[in-house]
Amino acid sequence: MVGIVLISHSSGLAAGAAELVGQIAAGARVVPAGGTDDGRLGTSTELIAAAIAAADTGDGVLLVPDMGSSVLSALALLADLDPESSGKRVRLADAPFVEGAVAAAVAASGGLDLTAVASAAEEARDVRKL
Amino acid sequence: MSANSEARHAIDAVVRVVVLPKHLHARPAGQLAQLAARHPSTAIELVAGQRRANARSVLAVMGLGAVTGTEVLVSAAGPGAAVAVYEICRILAAPETED
Repeated sequence: MVGIVLISHSSGLAAGAAELVGQIAAGARVVPAGGTDDGRLGTSTELIAAAIAAADTGDGVLLVPDMGSSVLSALALLADLDPESSGKRVRLADAPFVEGAVAAAVAASGGLDLTAVASAAEEARDVRKL
Repeated sequence: MSANSEARHAIDAVVRVVVLPKHLHARPAGQLAQLAARHPSTAIELVAGQRRANARSVLAVMGLGAVTGTEVLVSAAGPGAAVAVYEICRILAAPETED
């Protein structure tokens, strides 16, 4: 199953989003990576890397960032990971944080592959609520 | 009408209407989309009033804004369509859950 990593400046936001996603997409593998190493607001490439390792069951991992340095940290990490040579498949979703996470986790728990899970997250940009 | 007998005869397109006994909340929407993902070759659509949603999109299903008493038309086309519609109607018709 494709794993999902939720990257936020806030550990509470990442953890809460993961909890919500787990309720809607039962069975999904969702790992929060929020805040800095010492629990402040910010992002940590170490925490993100650990979350990727925890989320990865061999079918790939989708990163869902909130904004700003979450995106930059994820990009920096992706550059370091060099997904091709390491054999891991890690992708970064360009999607709204909560909605993208829910859509991705539902798709992942339904057994879809990383490309389809990433598409599900990114389709969240265009879905109206009202 | 038995969904099982329909499945045995491999009907390719099935339509049913369910009157919701509860709002179509996030959790049942997630269950619907998970189920639809298990029928990758079957197009499954929900219609509520003027709105339509691909059952695979949990956000679109939530965006139907379907409340208790809404008539939801469920249609599926493709392999296993009868089974898919049966399973989706079972989720839609299930009693209120805690969300």
